[in-house]
Amino acid sequence: MKKFRFVVFFIFSLIQFVSAQSDSTITVSFVAHYNGKNVDLSDSSFVANDSNHLQIDALRFYVSNICFLKNGTVVLPEKNSFHLIDASNKNSQTLSIKNTNKINFDELSFSLGIDSTTNVSGAMGADLDPTKGMYWTWQSGYINFKLEGKSNNCPTRNHAFEFHLGGYQTPFNCLKTATLKTTNQKIIIVVFDINQFLSVVDLSTLNQIMSPSKTAVLLSEQAIKSFKIIDP
Amino acid sequence: MKIKTVLFFCFCFVLFAFQLATEKPFVVPKGWPKPTYDFSKNPLNENTIELGRTLFYEPMLSRNNIVSCASCHSQYTAFTHVDHALSHGIEDKIGTRNSPALINLAWQQFFMWDGAVNHLDVQALAPIANPVEMDENISNVVKITTLKTLPNAFLQAFGDSVVTGEHTLKALSQFMLTLVSHNSKYDSVMRKEAVFTSQENNGYLLFKKNCASCHTEPLFTNNEFKSNGLPIDTTLNDYGRFGITKNAKDSLKFKVPSLRNIEFSYPYMHDGRFKKLSEVLKHYTTGALHNQALSKELQNPIVLNANERVDIVAFLLTLTDRSFLFNPNFSYPKNLFSTQRRIKKSSASITLTNIIKNEL
Repeated sequence: MKKFRFVVFFIFSLIQFVSAQSDSTITVSFVAHYNGKNVDLSDSSFVANDSNHLQIDALRFYVSNICFLKNGTVVLPEKNSFHLIDASNKNSQTLSIKNTNKINFDELSFSLGIDSTTNVSGAMGADLDPTKGMYWTWQSGYINFKLEGKSNNCPTRNHAFEFHLGGYQTPFNCLKTATLKTTNQKIIIVVFDINQFLSVVDLSTLNQIMSPSKTAVLLSEQAIKSFKIIDP
Repeated sequence: MKIKTVLFFCFCFVLFAFQLATEKPFVVPKGWPKPTYDFSKNPLNENTIELGRTLFYEPMLSRNNIVSCASCHSQYTAFTHVDHALSHGIEDKIGTRNSPALINLAWQQFFMWDGAVNHLDVQALAPIANPVEMDENISNVVKITTLKTLPNAFLQAFGDSVVTGEHTLKALSQFMLTLVSHNSKYDSVMRKEAVFTSQENNGYLLFKKNCASCHTEPLFTNNEFKSNGLPIDTTLNDYGRFGITKNAKDSLKFKVPSLRNIEFSYPYMHDGRFKKLSEVLKHYTTGALHNQALSKELQNPIVLNANERVDIVAFLLTLTDRSFLFNPNFSYPKNLFSTQRRIKKSSASITLTNIIKNEL
């Protein structure tokens, strides 16, 4: 009898072990591209080989409220979903999301930025800690998205441009949501296409955004359109 | 057996650690409204309040280690900066506004004259980063705090010795939340423990008729933004709330300040243009510009003769709360000077590097 119990226990454990091993985790990576090239700022700035000498110095943004959908319905929401993605920090770019029940999905949805409720709820920790450099000080609110760099097109000092997009109050609410089709159930690679983002920006006239405004909203709309999923 | 002994001591230690953080529920004075601050997200306890107090008086929060929160928010003047129309910060640089008094903050939803800050927890970020106030950033504050002070204080305050921006700000909030003023003569009269003089009483009646729609009892503010008819100072061109909302309707609106301890919180108005209460009353009776922006409460002119104005001032002086202004729990923590300090109710002594000797 004792032996029998042991065997049952052993088999049960084995099943548990195998099912845990069979990887119920979805890996979502966020990477940035410029002209199809990976923009990795871990060691240094990214310099594009183009006529305007475009240089990317910083790219950081919040991804929040990650959900997986099936036929337009949310089937798997990530709990407490706030992630700071930083092109200079590889660890920040890959997220693991548990899918214990192996739910099937055909779309990934996420928001670029921080929702208004969180914006008015005081000091937060982890990726939302104000020490992360993604919080305005002179006026409360998270900076949803930061892109900093240089281009010969910019008539500014050192040809620098700086886009700090944020704002949670109407009419300047910059939180935008993307819903992207995906076939892969395990590894999802989301690309932020810097070309596409900059395609609507004339750097000679628009090069500094550092507060909530109508332009910040328009650029946030462009930013969310610049995300796409590629095959791993 | 040995393991059991170790476990027993571990258990005792954990129990002891829990005892260290003595919860201190926030007391709402009788008849006052419910506080705006959500205490469930940052429950008060003695160690955290004490840590917040230490940080409040800590000059290391500024770039040059000279300016602390208390530099512009001095207890004896109702936690504001007196004698200067516009408050000055680091290296005597002068700002654009008169620092507000820190009183009854648990009931405020917005902070700063223009409501730029939406929560008490994140308020401190603004003066810390402002180049004419403390000119530092919160990441450096966390680094310096980690290196030079109080790791055990954070452990006892939050159960985590790692200093974070969140915990630094929440500790500051806890101290500021304790700055409750509710023991003025006015409060005693309301509790029927004292009586107004006939002059104060006349002032009170006039106040209720002419001023209380914005300076609503018992907090003496309705926490709204109003335009009170001040002509714009063209050296500052400060349009107040408009700068935040970019909505034309908010042009020239500033937050209605509480009048508690107003005797000590001079000068008055967002730009400190009035030194005396009599000047303020003159403004409201004869000086306010009747333009489109003027708040509806002031559309009908306030008519007060010289005697009535004096009576109102007499009433306003009953809002002085000496038990607040001289409360030893709010004052400079003298133990900051010692190399060893103790957190209340804790036998574990906490080493605090002497910040005066070891300036960065």
